[in-house]
Amino acid sequence: MTTSSSDAILSALRQAVTGKVLTDADAFQQYGRDWTRKHEPAPLAIVFPRSTEEVQAVVKAANELNFKLVPSGGRTGLSGGALATSGEVVVAMDAMNKIHEFNSADRTVRCDAGVITKQLQDFAWEQGLYYPVDFASAGSSQLGGNLSTNAGGIKVIRWGMSRDWVAGLKVVTGKGDVLELNKDLVKNNTGYDLRHLFIGAEGTLGFITEATMKLARRPKNLSVLVLGLSHFSYIMDVLSAYTNALDLTAFEFFSHRAMGHVLAESDVSAPFAEEAPYYALLEFEALTDETMETAMGLFEQCVEAGWVVDGVVSQSETQLKNLWRLREGISESIAKHTPYKNDIAVVPSKVPAFLNKIDAIVSREYPDFEIIWFGHIGDGNLHLNILKPAALSKDEFFRRCEQVNTMVFETVAEFRGTISAEHGVGLLKKDYLSYTRCPAEIEYLKGIKRVFDPNNVMNPGKVIDL
Amino acid sequence: MKVLVAVKRVIDYNVKARVKADQTGVDLSNVKMAMNPFCEIAVEEAVRLKERGVATEVVVVSIGPKAAQEQIRTALALGADKGVHVETDVEVEALAVAKLLKAVVEKEQPGLIILGKQSIDTDNNQTGQMLAALCGYGQATFASEVTVSGDKVEVTREVDGGLRTVALKLPAIVTTDLRLNEPRYASLPNIMKAKKKPLETVSPADLGVDVTPRLKTLKVVEPAKRSAGIKVASVEELVSKLKNEAKVI
Repeated sequence: MTTSSSDAILSALRQAVTGKVLTDADAFQQYGRDWTRKHEPAPLAIVFPRSTEEVQAVVKAANELNFKLVPSGGRTGLSGGALATSGEVVVAMDAMNKIHEFNSADRTVRCDAGVITKQLQDFAWEQGLYYPVDFASAGSSQLGGNLSTNAGGIKVIRWGMSRDWVAGLKVVTGKGDVLELNKDLVKNNTGYDLRHLFIGAEGTLGFITEATMKLARRPKNLSVLVLGLSHFSYIMDVLSAYTNALDLTAFEFFSHRAMGHVLAESDVSAPFAEEAPYYALLEFEALTDETMETAMGLFEQCVEAGWVVDGVVSQSETQLKNLWRLREGISESIAKHTPYKNDIAVVPSKVPAFLNKIDAIVSREYPDFEIIWFGHIGDGNLHLNILKPAALSKDEFFRRCEQVNTMVFETVAEFRGTISAEHGVGLLKKDYLSYTRCPAEIEYLKGIKRVFDPNNVMNPGKVIDL
Repeated sequence: MKVLVAVKRVIDYNVKARVKADQTGVDLSNVKMAMNPFCEIAVEEAVRLKERGVATEVVVVSIGPKAAQEQIRTALALGADKGVHVETDVEVEALAVAKLLKAVVEKEQPGLIILGKQSIDTDNNQTGQMLAALCGYGQATFASEVTVSGDKVEVTREVDGGLRTVALKLPAIVTTDLRLNEPRYASLPNIMKAKKKPLETVSPADLGVDVTPRLKTLKVVEPAKRSAGIKVASVEELVSKLKNEAKVI
């Protein structure tokens, strides 16, 4: 089947949607890519549907006229999943941003895919409830994108990933069918749960247009500890000491170097004068004085064991927020150095051995690059960021990073880990998928894609190639 | 030299205050409470004076319900040496606070008294000034720099349109502004040490002060909601609306 002329496609799009259809260069730069900067966007048009029916009309037109679609949410992705580089039509969900009915008895809320994460968090809070999936880009990222990448973030240790909060989905498949998946049921054992295929599919099977999200009770009196570790190898000792006694809502780690960038780029101050090579940030609900006593007692044990050199605890919401900024500000503070980002994970118990081995590889292979470590260590998830030296060109830098990737990912495979813990595969990690998924499994993935999207109109070239 | 610091337990700066349904006050049930930010700055300044060898002892005083001891413990963890808790469940007004503090000043005989310029709950900005008048001490409000030398304290004050530096004879009262310093976090080892520091509890009656309120709150209401903006089509329309509807030009 040949691709129709641009004019025919644009006219079909204008018929399909009541929202805007943009074709100017500024719009392409804005809507044609995510936070990655490796590729230049070059879509055919940006279209803004206002309803599931309009999305369906766009998908049907794509199948008839043989053009390709790239779903676009808040465009905060880090794997190039929302990149449109070769004349695709970008379907931006910005105009579908309503929160529909809230059901207090079920503790669920039905949202359009374009609802911004923060909007859902704030809505839940106003109802006296809590939407627990949270991460640094929550002010821009959209729910549809969160679900398509199964976003994780900083509260996974307690509340899980985005997937865990989905009661039901409305989707438009690549074939153009509208499906309502799971119908918000708590229990529904009626065969394959297709909802979970669309979550994490990065828009390769179809569009998520609506989601019914579950909400949790509000956490009470959250408190944050920041501990300075004398050596990285103790991190799991500290983690198990605390998780055995308390229900942690977060357990994050970052290197002194990582924190240095935050201190240099913002007005937050260091937690204590003592310098430590690594820091752990722990959060928990201090429901009673005894909880705080327990946290203090554990701190004493950690100091006596030589694992921890110093620590602070938030005494107010303001301090809690400022301590969190030490961790959450990292990505933004290193953005100007064009970081090469790796988002890798192993089971938590293997983290120290894994990190040692990866650290040895990157120090050997990149003696002249600055390496920034941080991550959701309670989930076994490490963010390895390699910063571009100012003198090096972007192309040369990425070429050198990719050389070492193979070594990093071989180690990931050796530890039975994953090449992408929460950022997704998109365009940037596609070539490395085989380090986590075996050839037979990848064939099954392709088979599933063909069922939902036989003409390969949905985000082609992302995650897998057909 | 002994330094006395007053700290107040207030609704946390980051919590959105909500008015009670019956309009009798702000709803404080299940709301995070913390040390008033200006008081944190006062504690930090006193601790720095001690670290520089200027102060020999830092005494922290708080007036309020039993739970106000949390804020005293925080101040002790930040480096204060001794706590005094004037326990009362009455919502104490500024003049009564100043009278209670005066009684503590008479007992402790500090060389310098540091307070926040105001508390973020009632925003009165009165206590420091009243305390100075009651004690007959000099006062330097809205401090952004404090230097003690000999029996004098030199204080840079933030005033409209600039800075004003004053020199006071000790003992004196200083109230803190935001730019005086950046308070540190309470470290865990210091929080544990703070548990062993002395904390004395007294009642307003012990200090001979009547704290019965003189004012009666009739009603507390939320600020009026801002209405949404509108788009105008032309400069003429904008000018006309500013003239005729908003009546600002």
